[in-house]
Amino acid sequence: MQIPESNVAQRSWRDWFAGLSVERIALVLGLVTLVVAAVNPLFKNTFLELWSRGLLIGLVLMLAYTLAGNWQQTYVARWHVQILAVVLLAPLCAVIEAIVDTHGNIDAVLNDRHRVAGFFWVLFLCLGVGLIATLVALVREREAQANAQALRFALEKETLERQALDAQLRVMTAQIEPHFLLNTLANVQALVETGSARAAPVLRSLIGYLRAALPRLRDSEGTLGSELALARAYLDVMQMRIPDRLQFDIAVPAELEAVRFPSMALLTLVENAVRHGIDPAEQGGRIEIGARREGEGLRVWVGDSGVGLNPSAPPGSGLANLKQRLAAFYGPGARLDLLDGDGRGGRGLRAEVVLPSTERRA
Amino acid sequence: MTSRPRALLADDEPLLREQLAVLLGRLWPELEVVAQARNGREAIELFDEHEPEIVFLDIHMPGVNGVEAARAIARRAQVVFITAYDQYAVQAFEQGAIDYVVKPLDAQRLADTVQRLQQRLASAPVDGAAVDAVLEQLAARLKQGGGPGKPWLQWIKASVGSNVRLIPVEQVHYLRSDEKYTLVVWEGGEALIRRSIRELADELDPDRFAQIHRSTIVNLHQVVQVIRGPNETAEVQLKGRTELLSVSRSYLSLFRQM
Repeated sequence: MQIPESNVAQRSWRDWFAGLSVERIALVLGLVTLVVAAVNPLFKNTFLELWSRGLLIGLVLMLAYTLAGNWQQTYVARWHVQILAVVLLAPLCAVIEAIVDTHGNIDAVLNDRHRVAGFFWVLFLCLGVGLIATLVALVREREAQANAQALRFALEKETLERQALDAQLRVMTAQIEPHFLLNTLANVQALVETGSARAAPVLRSLIGYLRAALPRLRDSEGTLGSELALARAYLDVMQMRIPDRLQFDIAVPAELEAVRFPSMALLTLVENAVRHGIDPAEQGGRIEIGARREGEGLRVWVGDSGVGLNPSAPPGSGLANLKQRLAAFYGPGARLDLLDGDGRGGRGLRAEVVLPSTERRA
Repeated sequence: MTSRPRALLADDEPLLREQLAVLLGRLWPELEVVAQARNGREAIELFDEHEPEIVFLDIHMPGVNGVEAARAIARRAQVVFITAYDQYAVQAFEQGAIDYVVKPLDAQRLADTVQRLQQRLASAPVDGAAVDAVLEQLAARLKQGGGPGKPWLQWIKASVGSNVRLIPVEQVHYLRSDEKYTLVVWEGGEALIRRSIRELADELDPDRFAQIHRSTIVNLHQVVQVIRGPNETAEVQLKGRTELLSVSRSYLSLFRQM
């Protein structure tokens, strides 16, 4: 079990003060100084008296804002709690300030018109300035969040592009499996030695396959038609090698052959079907390749009636690569689904590429 | 020599069986090819039927492979393996207990093998222990990747509509028990499967999956953070998902800081 320690969030007292920065305290200091300087002439108190009290109230309100913002609850929106905290605390601060100012003598406040006026001034300032500061802070926080999100999107996009490039590179450096090549050449040799007339067509299929499957450095995209030709060349070669165990059928409407399709994508599925489906089966099986239009999109499938998928077989990198390439090619709506069975209630596996649109993503 | 030596050929590719038969006929006219097998199972059956002195076995065959077939045969005949290239560790053969030829076949190389076989038939019986050692080594090579112990579940079969989809476990976010069924939540959606969460917990790789609740198993690779709550509770947040999954007290120890 490896959970990075940083991911295990112990909710400690520190979390309640997240966002409490020197910058925030400095802002309160500046704001209080400005406001006190502006209203000083209205009060009998000295600037320092007013300033220290104002600062205390400002800090209390800012702290309330911070704590309310860090309160993890799911009942009310976070900014509601923050505004409520400031609105409730501001009058309380004003009352406390009045009490402290008169050393607890409330009658003195009530009987003095100037003091009553002073109290309302303080109340008004606390509420007004407190609320405005809160709203400004909320707007700024939201902007910062939007920026962070935009940054995250940009990062995600870049990651996706890099993955697409990686996948493309892997295709370009893809290698022909030596086992396949040597076994096929062994067959060709056998045909040549026995003077069989079949040697020539088999060689043609092999050359067709090699030409298409060798690293293609310039074009990473083909058409469904060119991909089908490649798959057919491969299947022709395989059928010559194991004629008693492999049948195949390709049924794709001719009008779909011009649709653009990532190169080697279909071959990957066909090779998988032979290698993991047909080849391990004593009786072999049948491979069916098909495609049909679905609205704007396209569904392409490769089914086999081989041994089927072993649920504990580790997934190879071929399918994962293909999935990435499809996403890079057609966008995140492109899917690669694996379905159990041959579609007729028998054993086997069917791989389906589902594209929401055949337009290549810009 | 009382009778002609006899051989069995086994390869899943008919052209290659035929070619081997033709070449052997040219290099060793006395040798009688009594049977040809298409896979390991047939090879064993035909061997028991004919009991030839020599068996050519392709290593890569469907069903029962060449090495497995050889284990059933080796002490009773001279085995020669056929292999496409040295993926099956030719060094295993270099101890000399078992001969091999590579495809595409080379007539000169096959002639050497024929000569060695003739010598062995004339002089030495099969050295059982040495042969077993080589086969042991080859079988281990073939199994490579499987590793010891039980293989973990890598794919989950789930009905989606009229199809049975195969979902790679790395795409699964979490599994939640839903009475008799289990809900699989993966990057492609949700599906119900007819297996209990307890069964799945036993079959999934514990390095990747952890049970966090009587009814929940999460994919640890998808965990973004674990949020501690008051009173020994915690919730798990997964990549790209809004819902939080609660960790019950008895599984909390999984996330104690290590």
